[in-house]
Amino acid sequence: MSSLKSHFTLILALISILFSIFLFKTFSQILYKYKQNIIDNYSIVIVSTKQLSPNDVDNLGTLKQININNELKKLKQKYPNIDFSNITLPYFYKLKLNTLPSPKELENIKNELLNKPFIKKVMTKSSAQTKIYNLLMLLEIITKTFMYLIGILGFLLILKQLEVWKLLHNERMYIMELFGAPFWFRGAALFKIAFIDSLISLIITFILIIFVTNLTIFQKVINDLGINYQIDYLKDFGLLFVISFIISFISSILVVIGKK
Amino acid sequence: MGKLVVANNLTLTYENNPVIKSSNFTINSGDFVFLTGVSGSGKTTIIKSLYGELKPHSGNLRIGEFNLFNISKSKLSTLRKHLGIVFQDFKLIPEWNILKNVMLPLLIAGVNKNEAEQRAMEYLSRVKLSHKADKFPAELSGGEQQRAAIARATIHNPVMILADEPISGLDEYSASLVMDLFIKANQKGITIVIASHSIPTEFSINFRQLHIEKGKIYELA
Ligand SMILES: Nc1ncnc2c1ncn2[C@@H]1O[C@H](COP(=O)(O)OP(=O)(O)O)[C@@H](O)[C@H]1O
Ligand SMILES: [Mg+2]
Repeated sequence: MSSLKSHFTLILALISILFSIFLFKTFSQILYKYKQNIIDNYSIVIVSTKQLSPNDVDNLGTLKQININNELKKLKQKYPNIDFSNITLPYFYKLKLNTLPSPKELENIKNELLNKPFIKKVMTKSSAQTKIYNLLMLLEIITKTFMYLIGILGFLLILKQLEVWKLLHNERMYIMELFGAPFWFRGAALFKIAFIDSLISLIITFILIIFVTNLTIFQKVINDLGINYQIDYLKDFGLLFVISFIISFISSILVVIGKK
Repeated sequence: MGKLVVANNLTLTYENNPVIKSSNFTINSGDFVFLTGVSGSGKTTIIKSLYGELKPHSGNLRIGEFNLFNISKSKLSTLRKHLGIVFQDFKLIPEWNILKNVMLPLLIAGVNKNEAEQRAMEYLSRVKLSHKADKFPAELSGGEQQRAAIARATIHNPVMILADEPISGLDEYSASLVMDLFIKANQKGITIVIASHSIPTEFSINFRQLHIEKGKIYELA
């Protein structure tokens, strides 16, 4: 009844929207995990003349004292003629930050800490991980922009589809109305098409997702990032399923309501 | 006989261009009415107002319990389910075959598909179109489309049939088939309103004639 072409537009629009939603979601999650991962492994070493409480470091993160007894022992063995009991040794702390700072923020934090009289030394390492993280942030901005564009494109395609549907179905729906057909009756054919198109788009999108996420490059990137990321296919597919049906049914309802 | 249609001071306009001006008429249940007038006099306009496509500009128009001046969408649907309309341009659904087109009022009424199909075949045979059941409207001649439209308008035993020029343009054979159908329907108690520029000769049953002239409606004896 309805040509392949009339299905094509909606299916294409739905696939692009669904797939970009999936990528968007996956990318954000990977990034979030990676960020957590860096935070977990990232710390600043502080040398202080007194015992520190979190308040002393402006609650920037959690403090952990570094045990220097082992080092002290080695030193004592190395220099047996120095009397270490007369030397007041400073306290060493590892500061684990709550959030991941940019290199500039890190510099500020360092200066802030050094301004405190009891803090003698602050050691940071401009880790390679933050560089990767910055790269990922850039990538995120680019991909998000890209995905918004795809979303807008999909939306425009759907508007186009509505026009086509109007042309194809208006006359029939109008005649049905003249014979007193209720809303659901007039829209039945369109709802059916919307349902079938949603289903087709979902199947294609799922296949696409399974294909992409099983690519060795995808797996390799995740492994190289050193994070443990599992795609929850069931949850993701469920979400896309709901979105797909909502979009196509709203579209078809708009056509049935907006006829004439 | 109860009054089915009552029009009081009815004025029908298109964008403030009055076509029917402050006219009165009534149609009783079981009437067989010819609505006559020259081309452009307003026959189609009155038919349109009767199925709620054109809202009265002023005055009163009632069909049974329904006031067409301020009828709600759902009530209009209910009214239309009880009408059988034959449009001047047929209005068959182009992407449906003739059988399904004729089935439409039954499908809307919720009759199951098999039964609707059987009834539609029966009505198609009454208008001598059984052999075209699986053809599409575009594959039929004007006269055949007209007959299919009439089968569709009668299949659900409506309270009233509104037919806009149902026999103009038909050959004699088709015209007599069609008039026969209307007469049979009328004998079952269905009210018939036929818009036509003239009344067929050799017309044997009792009928009324409402004539439109210069925007006014007169009953001719
Ligand atoms: N949709 C419309 N918009 C404006 N004027 C219309 C419209 N339909 C009909 N008319 C005008 O109303 C008058 C009556 O038309 P109509 O009811 O179709 O006449 P009839 O069916 O008797 O030939 C005509 O003058 C026609 O031009
Ligand atoms: Mg006319």
